[in-house]
Amino acid sequence: MKTVSFFFSTKLTFDDYVHDHSFALRIMPLETETQHILTSNLKISPFVTTQQTVDAFGNNVTTGYIKEEHRFLDFELKGKAEVNTEKYRTDYMPCYLYQSEYTLPDENLRTFYNELKETCRAESPSERAKYFCDVLSDMITYEKDVTSTETTASQAFALKKGVCQDFSHILISILRMDGIAARYIAGLAFCDGETHSWIEYWTGEHWEGIDPANNCPGTDDYLVISQGRDFRDCAINRGVMFGTYTKQLQLVRTVMQ
Amino acid sequence: MSLQPEQTKFAQAVGNADEINELLRRYGVKFGIYKNGVFNEQFFPFDPIPRVISAEDFKGIEKGLVQRVNALNEFLFDIYHEKKIVKDGIVPEDFIYISKGYLAQCEGITPKNRIYSHISGIDLVQGKDGEWYILEDNLRIPSGASYPLIARELTRIAAPEAFTNNDIVDNRNYAKLLKATMEHANCGGIRAILTPGRYNAAYFEHSYLAEHTGSVLVQNDELFVEDNMLYHRTYSGGKTRIGVLYRRIADEYLDPLTFYPDSLIGIPNLMEAYRSGNVGIINAPGNGVADDKGIYYFVPKMIQYYLGEEPILHNAPTYLPFYADDMKYVMDHLEKLVIKDVAEAGGYGVVFGNELSKEKLEEFRKTIIAEPRRFIAQEVIDFLDLPITDNGETVMRKADLRAFVLSGETTKVWASGLTRFSRNPDSFVVNSSQGGGFKDTWVLSR
Repeated sequence: MKTVSFFFSTKLTFDDYVHDHSFALRIMPLETETQHILTSNLKISPFVTTQQTVDAFGNNVTTGYIKEEHRFLDFELKGKAEVNTEKYRTDYMPCYLYQSEYTLPDENLRTFYNELKETCRAESPSERAKYFCDVLSDMITYEKDVTSTETTASQAFALKKGVCQDFSHILISILRMDGIAARYIAGLAFCDGETHSWIEYWTGEHWEGIDPANNCPGTDDYLVISQGRDFRDCAINRGVMFGTYTKQLQLVRTVMQ
Repeated sequence: MSLQPEQTKFAQAVGNADEINELLRRYGVKFGIYKNGVFNEQFFPFDPIPRVISAEDFKGIEKGLVQRVNALNEFLFDIYHEKKIVKDGIVPEDFIYISKGYLAQCEGITPKNRIYSHISGIDLVQGKDGEWYILEDNLRIPSGASYPLIARELTRIAAPEAFTNNDIVDNRNYAKLLKATMEHANCGGIRAILTPGRYNAAYFEHSYLAEHTGSVLVQNDELFVEDNMLYHRTYSGGKTRIGVLYRRIADEYLDPLTFYPDSLIGIPNLMEAYRSGNVGIINAPGNGVADDKGIYYFVPKMIQYYLGEEPILHNAPTYLPFYADDMKYVMDHLEKLVIKDVAEAGGYGVVFGNELSKEKLEEFRKTIIAEPRRFIAQEVIDFLDLPITDNGETVMRKADLRAFVLSGETTKVWASGLTRFSRNPDSFVVNSSQGGGFKDTWVLSR
């Protein structure tokens, strides 16, 4: 078990005034069997009243609506949590066994899986997941700015490059083809300066975390913010606004003990 | 088959179709259709010979439809909660999660009074043996109720004696039924009907129903969610809370922050307000999982499973190539079956085996083997032809019946419905987007 302090902030700046801005944030870390949130404080500016709901996947959703004209939206999250990955989560949903928008394999990825399957000697879901993760780790290069948040598993696989989100999508796609339920996790980890993504697979009894971008298991250094079938269910900020604008997004965060 | 003397009498009673069609034109009763990317408004031709359903026949249909819709509502609640029917092995898991109509985002949502399908459009046909068969369930946005309504209004004007001489159940209560159904789902506020706009196929109907139920007809730019409540923007800059939204846009476009991010016709955060029980949505998002052509096969089993009753109305005999036994049957009898692509709607993706050449048949066999989950196969029902007038002559054509079932405090069947017929004498497809027409449907009171 480990106690971590987390700090996370996002700044959104618009080139021109926007109005009638509706947003949904998935940013408040989850209270689960493996993590207990001690304190968690969200500040949003400009001032706006917000509502908290919990979505279909168990994520905390913070919604708000800014009618007046504004040029920026900033939010800042600060808190403390106890993480204990020796405990298990069991909130299974059958939809995690089926491919979703970002993970749907194309011919190329399907063929790759069919060959990979032949070389895999492992039997248990855990061993198979580790094996697939090893293979991907050798094959895909971590590289920024070659993919975007819209990139699918198939597209990233064709490039053989990408960031944590792409590693997660490819591994989820493979696991689901293999008949192992898997879900996308967005969260914070000690190892880099942005939000991180990893995955969880279903062992048959509980969820187990694995980080394909770093090829290591999920540990007490990983704080789960949201979970879902793929990136789309976990986007930190989704918004709709009116006005002539271009959007800039900047992320800063740290996790420390 | 010759015309029954009774039907001739009714046709004469209603009189001249041209007169009524002229009135329909004048009232703007149309439906829009996109063909090759161009929007056209088409006139939906009315045929004056009514379909007549006896009181006794209707009683049977009514009981069967209430039973079916109640079971479908139970199914929807179960699928988005415990999924007992899957765990108990009645419906294979694959059929739920591969269905395009299943929306994981709706997991755990319980609409007010646990009603998911408030307005169900159930398509039936009558076989030559007199038996009624269910062709498909429409639990998302079944359209068409306004056509028989307005046709009835006009025929009452054109031929009032037809209604004094015959004991016909008055069907003009639809708006009242709909209003009560909307009120039952109301979470506190005004009633609104959401239309994607006048370029939608059913815009005429949206405005008609709004007017007759005393609901506000709205488009998405007039609506917003604030403090987890849905509001209508008033012209003076104020806001009015909406308690129930009868939306006539598809699930995927409903909320860009939950579904398609690119939707321009949705309302951001509507789903969060709905999940919190602050607004009712008619029909519930996610209903597509229950009216999927593949799930259709399992509806009789649902009736047994949830209600412990035997189904009163039967499905057309259906085979699922997904099951090995059914696959074998389909392969052996492909030339006499009708094959439906589960992903298509509106009469598209329907193939009659007997219309395919030998090569096409072989090709189709391969497609079915490659993607067994994509298709269902049905026996072609020899259904009862109905008389229609065609250039002054009476001819027989295929017709179906869309019955409207409204679930509010109780489940009720509207004593009317939309009878559609095919123009083409050889066609079995009666969908209005495929060039057919419609008739009034008379339910006799005794």
